[in-house]
This record gives sequence, C-alpha cells and structure tokens, in this order.
Amino acid sequence: MFSFTKEQEVFDISGIKIGGQPGLYPTVLVGGIFFKGKPDFDKAEKDLKKMLEISKKTGNPAIPDFFIRNEEDIEHIVNFILEKVPKDHPFSIDIIEPSIKITTLGYLHKKNLLSRTIFNSIHIGITDEEREALKKHTPEMVIIVAFNPKDKSPDGKIEVLENGAHLIDIGLLELARKLGIKKILVDTAALAPGENSGASIAAIPVIKEEYGLPTGCAIHNVVEKSKWLHDIESARETVDAASNINIPLFGGDYAIFGPIENSNLVFPIIAWQDILISEYTENYFGISPIDSHPRRKLQ
Amino acid sequence: MKNEYYPWGGEFTVCSPNGNVAVVLLTVEYVPPKTVAIYGPLKTENIGIEKIVANLISNPNIRFLVVCGNDIRGHRSGSSIIALHKNGIDENHKIIDAPGAIPYIENLKEEAIERFRAQIKIIDLIGVKEKRELDKVINDHTMKVIPAFGKPYIAIRIKAQSKVTLDDKRALHSKIVLNYMGKVEKRGK
Repeated sequence: MFSFTKEQEVFDISGIKIGGQPGLYPTVLVGGIFFKGKPDFDKAEKDLKKMLEISKKTGNPAIPDFFIRNEEDIEHIVNFILEKVPKDHPFSIDIIEPSIKITTLGYLHKKNLLSRTIFNSIHIGITDEEREALKKHTPEMVIIVAFNPKDKSPDGKIEVLENGAHLIDIGLLELARKLGIKKILVDTAALAPGENSGASIAAIPVIKEEYGLPTGCAIHNVVEKSKWLHDIESARETVDAASNINIPLFGGDYAIFGPIENSNLVFPIIAWQDILISEYTENYFGISPIDSHPRRKLQ
Repeated sequence: MKNEYYPWGGEFTVCSPNGNVAVVLLTVEYVPPKTVAIYGPLKTENIGIEKIVANLISNPNIRFLVVCGNDIRGHRSGSSIIALHKNGIDENHKIIDAPGAIPYIENLKEEAIERFRAQIKIIDLIGVKEKRELDKVINDHTMKVIPAFGKPYIAIRIKAQSKVTLDDKRALHSKIVLNYMGKVEKRGK
C-alpha cells in the first residue's frame, strides 16, 4: 500500500473522479458490454442496471464499456447509450477498427455525447485519420494503452508514453495533448502469461510516480489467457474477479474488469480491497477517503 | 502448451509431427484433418504472429501454412502474417504493408523471419470457412511430396535490454523506491 511523492492528478467525468493518492477515491470499475452477432439490448439493459445497483451499494463508480465491432451497430449502440445509460453518467467505447472509431466519434458528437465519452483507446497503431477525427471530435477522456511490443517491461511502457519508442513519431502522452485531450488515463497493457504479464501491475506505481496520471489496466485478460485454468472450471470466475485486486493494491485507480456480467463478484472484492487500503493510507499518510468510498459506506 | 517441436508454446493443437501443413484459424469454426502438423488460432498481429513464425520454423517438415476464416476485426492478423511473408519488416520492425493496428515483430531476429519466408508457402484462404473446401485444399497439399527444409531453426526470443541490478531491495523498479511505510519516491532523489 503506497502513497506517491509526485502530485497525483484527479480527473472528473460526469461526476466520477478517477486518480489521486491511493485511498482517496474508490477504485473505478469498467465493465464490458460485448455483443455477439445482433446486439441483445434487453440483456445489456439488465446487465447495466445490475452493475449500477451494486456500484451504488459499494460506492465504487461503474463505467459501462461498449464494444463496437461492426459499422452497422454504431447507431444502435449509441442510441442505446443515449436512452439507457443514466443521463450524465459516463461510458467508454472500446473499438479496434480505426474506421469504426472515426464514425463513432462523429456520431457521438452529433448526439452531444462526447462530454461523457471515454475513448478506449489510443495506442501506437493510431492512424492519421484517427488523429484528425480525435482533433475534430475530441472526447472528454481517453485511455492510452502503453503497449510496447519491443519491451514489455515498465521501462518499455514508459518509453511509448514518453517518446513513442521509435514505433510512432511522437510519445503517446504528447500526442494526446496535441490532439486537445486533457484527461488521460494510462492503461499499462496486460499481456498473456509468458509475455511478462506481471509488468502491467509493476508498471502502475512507476507510471503514477513518473506522471501522476490515473493508471489501471485489464489484468483479468491475463486470467482469460491462462489456459491451465480452463481445466479448473470451478475456480475460473473467482480467479478472474480476484485478479483485479492487484490494481488498487499497487496504487492503481481503475480496473477494466471484463464482462459486465461479473459485476456482482468484482465490485464487492474491490470494495473490500479499497477498505483495506484506505485503513492503512489514512493511518499512515493521512489520506481520508471521500464520503462515497466503500470504507465510509460499508460498515 | 509447449512441445519439443514448438518451443515458443501457444494455443495450438499438435497432430502429425511429419505433416507438411500448418493451419492458422482466424474467425472460423473448423477442425482440420489429423494429417496436418499443427493448427491453432491467431489473434494478434504482433505477439501472435511471432509465436506462429517461431513455432513453424522449428519444425522443418512444415512447408505450407493455410490461413483460413474471416480475418480478425481491427487486428487483421491473417492479412498481416501474409504481408510479413510477402514483404518482411522495415527498419522499425513494422511488417511492410500490413493492415493490422500494431503489426510489429520485435522478438524475432530478421534471420528467423527470412527462414519463415523461405521455408513456408502461404495458402491464403482468408474468407473461406467451408469445411469441405478447406479439407480439400489441406488434403491436396498434405499429399505433396516435398522435402523437409533442413534442420530445425530454434528462434531465440530477443530480450529487452531493460534488466537492472538493484542495489537495494526496497524498490519495485529501478525508477522508484519505497520507504518502510510505503511512500513511493523517485530513485536518486
């Protein structure tokens, strides 16, 4: 359990605060809404409701992360966000294909949603067209993935943030700022077992001390890629949810915890962890948690 | 899993060690015939391709790589491995003309990539998902009598040069130190 010497940034998006010294704000939890084939919006609505309920109970802010994989789904998913995500609640969009990213940004602008949007994500593969689109339709907050295929250690991650590691013409932090993005979350790029998977956790305090930016990752992806666990079916869900405690324990601010269906397991685990951390950080570092922190809410 | 023929491990199924065909499954539900040497999925256009290349060249019996199914959205890993075979990499280790988002080969030496390009012929079946059609192409190539490509090539994973020897045990990393109560500070301050 840590406290950082470097001043820590806290970013607000629609009332949700991300960042700061460990123990101050609850860990923000980002739950993925995936659609296979034709989007099942009834199920998405129920899952979203459940996540928001458990979030209210523990105090850990919840952010739905919408996966958009097909051009023809953009309008429907954005309309779902407009109608079903509570007004003024933030959300993130998780898109791989650059052309879909660009179209979605335009559509979010048209629907006046950019002030609630977390763009997931900018990485070294960003195209020129994507840069232009982000400049034109700038989302409120952006996740920068510090993936460096050359060097998966914390140093390699810092290198892509700092100077692009010769993989891109500019450091990703400078690039984001040049595009007009002010609120940056760093994702330490969790990789599969065998690919220095632990570095994504070790990098959290290093990046927070270096830049003071809110930092987290999708550590549960490492569990998904641990093939040996497939043979121990009864433990998979628990290990997947529990993996997220590494993030707040190492000073991180948010966890992209995987399918939204896992909310009821992940939120209590993280709330428990946040309480543990807060007890120490308040005692030794004088960091008093905010009123909505699990330590204040759950007695 | 790991296997003596395929030292880099990965998510694959080993069939016939003397088979001359390997199969990359993109977005497709298909189980190739047991006569192939190895088959498995390909997800990412960087680490995923590296593993496939390393595992193919370690078995000189493999001479054909069938790439089938719909390409992976965004990653375009199937098209990227084909681009690697066709064009190689540039001075920044980027696969030349690869359409994937982050198509970098950072953990293999150029020699290993050249070996892959020389040893393997790619059968581009991107977009093909029909079992009958895939079985036919695979069986046709399996029947071809083609000699092994010399000795196994065991690709050495290039290690990042960021290892440090820490002069004390309080630190999590060379850049930061932690005092006994958990306060993080930049090293050397």
